[in-house]
Formats: sequence, structure tokens, C-alpha cells
Amino acid sequence: MSVSPFRQGARAGFLVFLPVSVGLLPWALVTGMAMIGVGFTPLQAMGMNLIVFAGTAQLGTLPLIVAGAPMWLIVLTALALNLRFVIFSAAIAPGFRGIGAPLRWFSGHLLTDGVFACTLEKMLKVEDARWRLGYFLAPSLWCWLLWQTFTLIGVLAAGSIPKDWSLEFMATVALLVLLVPMARQRPMLVAAIASGATAVLLRGMPLRLGLIVAIGVGIIAGFGAERVQGKEEAA
Amino acid sequence: MSAEATLWLTFIAIGLASTLPRASFIVLGGRVRLPPVLQRALRYAPAAALAAIVVPDILLVGGDVAPLNPKIAAAIAAIAAAALSRNPWLPFIAGMAVLAGYRLLPG
Repeated sequence: MSVSPFRQGARAGFLVFLPVSVGLLPWALVTGMAMIGVGFTPLQAMGMNLIVFAGTAQLGTLPLIVAGAPMWLIVLTALALNLRFVIFSAAIAPGFRGIGAPLRWFSGHLLTDGVFACTLEKMLKVEDARWRLGYFLAPSLWCWLLWQTFTLIGVLAAGSIPKDWSLEFMATVALLVLLVPMARQRPMLVAAIASGATAVLLRGMPLRLGLIVAIGVGIIAGFGAERVQGKEEAA
Repeated sequence: MSAEATLWLTFIAIGLASTLPRASFIVLGGRVRLPPVLQRALRYAPAAALAAIVVPDILLVGGDVAPLNPKIAAAIAAIAAAALSRNPWLPFIAGMAVLAGYRLLPG
């Protein structure tokens, strides 16, 4: 009796991601609580969670939605927060050779940082397309299920937490936690400082336009710092 | 358009802005390549976007810079926890505990 390659891949992918997936739980809880914290109903919160399925984009756009920022600005901010996935997507794309377009779209929608990091190596190495599909989909679907479940728990728990606990600050902490490992690289830190300072200085700009200017300034500053660092290392 | 409808449209727009970057190259396959210079510049977008959201959140109170507000101490505690520990819960506990501590202080 032989197990299908898809199921073999699925088992391997699930096992490699399982220990990492625990790190998702506080995030999901916090995202659920933060969405209620800004005033969403549980239905709106879970609707956003099912439609968007991207913690950073959800947490990052909450203050803009609440402030009544225009849609294009919210979308640009979400795009900036998701740009890392263009790079991830390009890196893992060869792992989807021999897999049809609908499943590629589905896989793309499910792509997350954790699954990407865990599965990249074998996605590029293994020949059998069915094995690769299982290896990617099993941890991705597990991640999706954990995310939806624990966000829902956060949404339901938020109702019984007193208002003056400033739950919305959990979103700020969550975004800070993402920023910390990035800031260990010097140019990344320069990008963050330049962007953060610009955002504070331009806080008076209408429609929160300062945010987009700040992101642009940060990218330029980071790229510039990388050039300077590269020259120093070359010298 | 009602506020409710606008909100759901916003969710769909953010959803597209999340799925399209992820699906991009997975769907296109080997047919398109990102220019290396652009790829390197784009690496800074997430850090820049995160900082542009988080820094004003922490420094501003009611639209003004408040250099001694409790959120700064809470943020420092959360950053320290994230930098020094691999426990995914600790930054949230540290940050919220500091914030709660300020609230309990007399005066």
C-alpha cells in the first residue's frame, strides 16, 4: 500500500511548520482584540479577517479606517505593508511549476511569512509537483485555521475586557514586534527612523498623506544607507 | 453609500492589496522577473510603513508630541521583550503591564 505523494508532502509540510505555528497565536488574539478595540462589531471584525487574511495589513490599516482616511490611502498603506510578499512570491514561485492557475491563486492568497520561511527550501528542490502542492497547502491551511480560530477567540474575549485597558495599544505592540528583528540591519533601522520621524513631523498633513510621504522617505533613506554601507565595506 | 457599505468595500480593497502581492509571482511563474534594484529598494517598504504607523502612535497624544507619555515606556518594554526573548507572548504582556502600571499609579 502506498501513500499518495500529495499526502506525503502534506504530512512533511505540516510537521515542519507545526512548532512555528505557535508564534501565530498571540498575533491572532491581538488582531481580534484590536479590531473590537477600534469599534468594529464582531461580524465586521471576522468579515475583515476572512476577506483580508493578513495580520500586518489589518493592524496597520485599522487606525486609518477609524480616522476616515480615503480609500486610496488605505490601499497604498496596505500595499506597502504587503510588499515583502512580492519578494517572497518571486522566491517561492519556481516551487509551483507544474501546478495549475487556480491552485496557484489559492496558494498565493494563503502565503504567509511563517509558511514561506519553513517550506521554501524543499519547494525549490523536490521534483514531484503533487508532493510540493501538499507540502505547501497543508501548513498553509493549518495556519489559516489557527488564525481564524484565535482571532475569533480574541474578538469574543475583547467584549469582556474593560474599555480603559487600551486594547488598541496591542496593535501598536504587535507592529513593534515585527519591526524589532528588521531593525537589527543598519539600513533597515535608518529606513524606520527616517520614516517614523517624517510621519511625526508631517502629522498635520490632511487625509494622513504624511504617512505615504514618510514611507517614501524611509525607502529612500534605507536604500541610501545600504549604498553608503556597501561603499564602506568595499573600501 | 452607507458607512457600513464603505467599510466592507474597504475590507475588499485591503484584501486585494494583500492577495495580489502574494499571488503575483506564484501566478505569473517564471515569465516575469523583478529588476534587482527595485527588489532591493522594496525591501525597505515594510520597515518604513511599520515605523510610519507605529512612531506617531507612540509619540503623539491628541495630535501633539508628548515626550513623557506612558505609551513610550510601554513601547520600550515591549521592544526589550521582543529583542531579548523568543517568547511570543512576552512583548504584549510587558507592554500592556507597563501601560496598566501607569494607570494604577496615584495622581
